[in-house]
Amino acid sequence: MSPSGLRRPNDPPLLILVSLADGPKHGHALAKDIEDFAGVRLGPGALYGAITRLAERGLIEPFGSDDDRRRPYRITPPGSAALAAALADMRRVTRAGLARLGLDPA
Amino acid sequence: MKPANLLRWYPRAWRERYGGELAALIQDNLDEGRPAWRLRLSAIGGGLRERFRQALHAAAASLTSPAWHNRWGTIVLAGLICGFLAGDLTSPLSAAPRGWQGVALDAVLAAVAVTGAVVLADGLLALPALVRFLRAGGWPKIRRRAGWGAAATVAAGGGLAGLVLVSGSHPPAQLNASWAYWAGVLVTGLAMAAAIGLWAAAATATARHLTLTPRVRAAQLVLGAVIPTAVTTMLITLALWWSATQDSLTMLVLAAANLAAASAGTPGKIRRAVRRGRRLRSAASGR
Repeated sequence: MSPSGLRRPNDPPLLILVSLADGPKHGHALAKDIEDFAGVRLGPGALYGAITRLAERGLIEPFGSDDDRRRPYRITPPGSAALAAALADMRRVTRAGLARLGLDPA
Repeated sequence: MKPANLLRWYPRAWRERYGGELAALIQDNLDEGRPAWRLRLSAIGGGLRERFRQALHAAAASLTSPAWHNRWGTIVLAGLICGFLAGDLTSPLSAAPRGWQGVALDAVLAAVAVTGAVVLADGLLALPALVRFLRAGGWPKIRRRAGWGAAATVAAGGGLAGLVLVSGSHPPAQLNASWAYWAGVLVTGLAMAAAIGLWAAAATATARHLTLTPRVRAAQLVLGAVIPTAVTTMLITLALWWSATQDSLTMLVLAAANLAAASAGTPGKIRRAVRRGRRLRSAASGR
């Protein structure tokens, strides 16, 4: 596992970080966004399990809200760095795979 | 389906931090017409994972805590050895111990008696504070832990009774060849370890609620230094007794070396505990 704990493209923590990369979202908005861009439907238990891990590692943080029941989260600088590193790793693997398949001449 | 009901699957600390948000998310999903059974499964799975993580963290914290260093290992060992002992003590072989076996068995019984007395004294010292705590309505705070301890004790007692019955009605050679007997010994040992561990955890949790006088706390500091050594000594005497019954010189030497190592550090620990106790009492009396 990488130091940030991000492993596979469909890992809930990675999907959450990607979703938060363009701005803060609360739980329901996160789930909808992830379903839209990744086609992965995260159940409430899986979503909040991943939010808990990410918040514990300081990769995301709650963002001020009057409604505690729909508290938004935002990505932190260490979260952005971890996401960038994980995506760079995936890009390297993706490029190698495509090149070996002859699908990516670059 | 009430989302709030699903939160019961999660640990209390987690519920206090994320419970409202999760309930709102479940409600939003229900409002969208998502199947309730899927939401329920997801929430229950999440809750069980959180409880498992919490238990792992608690176990890791106890394993790395200086006060509990090696204690869980000791508890497991104690339970397993008690399980094996239960089978062996009731067998005809040890019914009439001879020579070193008799001496080793006496040492085991003496160590068990001394350890029991020290643990009992430790508990009795806290008894008045415990009674005050219970009279003040503290029972609900410790009921669940005490319940788990009692359940494990009943399971261990049942296993022990079964082993005693089986040991008394079958010859040792037949028992030694029976995998079911050894599985029973192992399970009973683990149940005993669980009972000891759960009662220890219940006692630790209860102690947090008790208001002890400086005098009692000072005495418990000393007993707290003695108890681990007493338990270790009890385990080593069990190993000595076992090595005597199995005629194993290697085990005898190892047990004797362990006994010497365990005894060597004890006087220093007790002296430090006495000094801490004195400081505690001095601080309490304002000197």
